[in-house]
Amino acid sequence: MLTLLTIAGLGAAVALPVVLLSVGGGVYDHERAALTSAGYQIAVSSGGTHGIDGAHSFSADIDALPGVAAASPVLSVALEAFLPNSTVPVLTEGVLPAAFLATQEPEEADLFPHPLPLGDPTDSAHWDNGTYAGPSAGRVLLSTPFASAERIGLGATLRLGSGTDRNDSTPFEVTGLFGVVGPSIGPTAVFGAILPLSDLQVLSGLARTASGVELDAADSVEVSLQPADQSPTDLDRVAGEIAHLAPFYTVSVLDSEAGQLAQAEGILDGFYVGLSAVGLVIGLAFLALVLLREVESERRSIGIRRAIGVPSYQVAIGLLGRGAALAAAGAVVGILGGVAIVGALADRAGGEVGAVAALAVFDPATLLLLALSVVGLSLVAGSLAVRAALRRALPESLR
Amino acid sequence: MSGTALSLDSVRRIYGAGRPDEVRALDGVSLEVPAGEFVSVEGPSGCGKTTLLNLVGLLDVPTSGAVRWGATDVGAWSEGQRTRGRLAGVGFIFQRFYLLPTLTALENVGLPLKARRVPGPARRTRAQELLEEVGLGARASAFPHELSGGEEQRVAIARALANEPPVLLADEPTGELDSASTDRILQLLEEVHERHGSTVLLVTHNPRVAARARRHLVLRDGKVISDRTDP
Repeated sequence: MLTLLTIAGLGAAVALPVVLLSVGGGVYDHERAALTSAGYQIAVSSGGTHGIDGAHSFSADIDALPGVAAASPVLSVALEAFLPNSTVPVLTEGVLPAAFLATQEPEEADLFPHPLPLGDPTDSAHWDNGTYAGPSAGRVLLSTPFASAERIGLGATLRLGSGTDRNDSTPFEVTGLFGVVGPSIGPTAVFGAILPLSDLQVLSGLARTASGVELDAADSVEVSLQPADQSPTDLDRVAGEIAHLAPFYTVSVLDSEAGQLAQAEGILDGFYVGLSAVGLVIGLAFLALVLLREVESERRSIGIRRAIGVPSYQVAIGLLGRGAALAAAGAVVGILGGVAIVGALADRAGGEVGAVAALAVFDPATLLLLALSVVGLSLVAGSLAVRAALRRALPESLR
Repeated sequence: MSGTALSLDSVRRIYGAGRPDEVRALDGVSLEVPAGEFVSVEGPSGCGKTTLLNLVGLLDVPTSGAVRWGATDVGAWSEGQRTRGRLAGVGFIFQRFYLLPTLTALENVGLPLKARRVPGPARRTRAQELLEEVGLGARASAFPHELSGGEEQRVAIARALANEPPVLLADEPTGELDSASTDRILQLLEEVHERHGSTVLLVTHNPRVAARARRHLVLRDGKVISDRTDP
């Protein structure tokens, strides 16, 4: 019974790090994969919202750099969509239609029509060298949840504006729909629209200042590189050239973000290991107590062995082996238990807990290292028992 | 067989020395036991018989004085030397047999051989031979709880003989046996003594058992009060 309790106690102590490390590692891997699968490799941003000025010309300058496949400013603004009987907020994104691929992640590839049917691929007609005087194509793309909920079909006219006054709104023809990554987006955000950048700038008042000075604002410029130019060296080179173009902007290379993510993962792993160590110490203290109790109950048997001349190391090996066997059994139970707990959470917990548990990754090397650590630490517990067994005077042991 | 197998020179063993409850288990005992002698150590309970055996068998160390095997002062040996000495130099036969309950008779007899790292097949062969010698060849696979007291003690004697020690130390070996088993064990000890030429120290408080020895030591209050050899 005590043996089973010991194995169960050690198993519980091992299951904790199994759960923490596998789920933590899984979340890290997921985030890392999301980062590395992003369609762009370099993002340029500023400190504030809509903080990039001269977005069209800045993007053109970046686009001209060697190795750059596409560069698109991205501006995100919440507008009002004026429906016949209501007004609905819609999250609108302004881009350069032809460079849209630069902002698109591979997993989104099937969600958008290609090319975007916005009528002004380079956004140059309406932009007209910063005058915004050119003819707008007057087209918009809507997310399918939005279009479906509001019964808006292709070819319909949708009025968009930044204020609540319908008279200040502008009509756009709905020329396309795009899907959304459902589970990862909240119910409000799925109501989305895509416009050429300059149209959104004009609608949102980010084309010029109140005094008429050209702003040409965007939130960021997302840059993708040619497939042949995506090595870390190429990334650093292009990022350096962009930084040289605009030293006052922040240039983020996804590799460095991945590095930061890895660093955060390392810190979290340290925290998990520290937390788990507390459980393991308790488990091993329990093991030490059990072994000491066995030494007491086996006092005479140990004494007999010693009396007939069995060397101390053979007595020690017996006790250490017993401790290691219990620890190994506990490690196996803990690992299997941890895997079962994570599996149960993934299958039955639902919500965010279930989603996070489903990301868990069980790294065999980590699990093996954990098991070996537990067995190794059991030798410390075993050595206490060995010391107790060998310190007792032989006549006393045989009494 | 000639020379001195064992000797004690002014040996004292004091438990709790310096404390009010200190016990002088042995108090200045000196004696010599020639090789091949069969010696009984007699006396009432608490007179120091078992302490004497423990010191000679390296289970304990003297507070003062010298314990010698031949000419070697074994009282000064390290724990490791004493362990090796017990393995090769003496065979113990205890009153309560002290067989390991989880091992069969064969495995119990083979234990000292295993400690000397004798390979398994040779170990089992030798253990079986020893069990045959004590008349238990057919009980090799029996566990201690399946044996009678007399059989258990015979297994213990076989175990004591496993490494062919020059000295056998028997501490009340018939103390828990009926008279028939006692006779069988004593006869076996005599046979072993004659066949192997072992030096035997037999601790007992039973005069009938002591009568089997040729030399008789009597202890009282930690001192040798009589040392008599039969004609």
